[in-house]
Amino acid sequence: VALDAVFRDQWSRVLATLVGILGDIELAEDAAAEAFAVAAERWPHDGEPANPTGWLVTTARNRAIDHLRRQRVLAAKTALLARDLEAGSQPPEVHVDDAATIPDERLELIFTCCHPALAIETQVALTLRTLGGLSTEEIALAFLVPFETMSKRLTRAKHKIRDAAIPFAVPPDHQLPDRLAAVLAVVYLIFNQGWGGGRVDLAAAAIRLGRALAGLMPDEPEALALLSLMLLHDARKAARLRDGRVVRLDDQDRSRWDTRQIEEGRAVLQRAMSGRPAGPYLLQAAIADLHLRQPRDWRQIATLYEMLASQTGSPVAEMNRAIAVAEIDGPEAGLAILDRLDLDHYRYFHSTRADLLRRAGQHGAAHHAYRRALDLAQTEPEQRFLQDRLAETAPGE
Amino acid sequence: MQYALLAYTPPQDTDRAASPIPDTLSARLAGPNVTGWARLHAEESATTVRSSEGRMLLTDGPFIDSKEYLAGVILIEAGNLDGALAIAQDLLQESRPGTAIEVRPVLDGRLRGA
Repeated sequence: VALDAVFRDQWSRVLATLVGILGDIELAEDAAAEAFAVAAERWPHDGEPANPTGWLVTTARNRAIDHLRRQRVLAAKTALLARDLEAGSQPPEVHVDDAATIPDERLELIFTCCHPALAIETQVALTLRTLGGLSTEEIALAFLVPFETMSKRLTRAKHKIRDAAIPFAVPPDHQLPDRLAAVLAVVYLIFNQGWGGGRVDLAAAAIRLGRALAGLMPDEPEALALLSLMLLHDARKAARLRDGRVVRLDDQDRSRWDTRQIEEGRAVLQRAMSGRPAGPYLLQAAIADLHLRQPRDWRQIATLYEMLASQTGSPVAEMNRAIAVAEIDGPEAGLAILDRLDLDHYRYFHSTRADLLRRAGQHGAAHHAYRRALDLAQTEPEQRFLQDRLAETAPGE
Repeated sequence: MQYALLAYTPPQDTDRAASPIPDTLSARLAGPNVTGWARLHAEESATTVRSSEGRMLLTDGPFIDSKEYLAGVILIEAGNLDGALAIAQDLLQESRPGTAIEVRPVLDGRLRGA
């Protein structure tokens, strides 16, 4: 079990370094898998090496070179290795005693995996595989697709990266804002997928990715803000469900909130607040923080959602502003905002609208809206919650 | 008069990079009437660039044929896909509205000189 934890921590670090050396994700992944298998066999007997990263990189690299020699396609694969071969010399040894000589290239790898020339679902799957350390089986399970489909998607992506020469690099300054936004979007998508409560803990994987990103880009406010946002949301995880039902924030048992994680989230949020104008993740993290305080400052929440809506043009942000406005000026004021939004496909739009209609005393319309929300609900705890509300607003009660 | 020949082939399972061009075809490609040729990586390596309301949109995959017709072939040199996409986007800006450019890596070929 301890070895599993070491492996998950090491996987992305070792893989990224190997991609840097070998220039091919598929080759690097195969070599890394071999090295981890050797480690699983030897470490329990021989003990863990002083520098596990160095040991794994060296072992994997040597395996990859053996493999390439056998295949006799070495020269085409990488200039570095080709030079070694031409000189007839042994490849230079990686100094395993000194962890500092092993460059951390996870940032390069994540920008490769989240390149806009790859479809978004491919970016998500590849990021989870290479940097999240999830197996192809786990990713297939999390996204409810057959193993074969996920395996093909990943293989195709790795081939495209190699064949089309998608760069293994941190983008230059003029591209960085857009490219970083794409990376953060992938991580947040993974987190939100996990929030629904699937069989694979994607929220934990997203937080691991977020921690790694925040560590690799400590001066990037939006990377810090995303980590803070995820920590603050996830801290309420244990209180979110009761008797198999979703529990509204006001009804949650606050003693079940993870206070240490809330403190960490708030500390990261403080660091994210720099002199720059607040980005969308900073606004959302600040809102998440406000939601955890009692009594809730609805005016400030409404203001932040207004900023978020004007910055992103997101109707979902506008919907959330309506919730805050309803708390300040009454449900009718919130409903007036909702009526302007085109969110008919969005399940939370209907549950939000239903709640405001109920509070406005329009039970018939509320019942109808809960029915619509139930039709769109995706998880059982959400369905049970909505069935309860449906029963409450049933005609004749 | 110059002509462009566009070769279409059914998908294959084997890695194109691993299958060499047959000698008989190679000999014809080396002939005096072939001024240049390029073998392309499989369709799944393609990225399509479009322009929509002043913004460049990337799609993962080949151009899906609809009412547009194939209007031209441009051969470029770039360090990596980002470089190729930058050139494609620059060309697209000067192209007719509605134009899309599929960017496909070249596997091997003889593109310059004779």
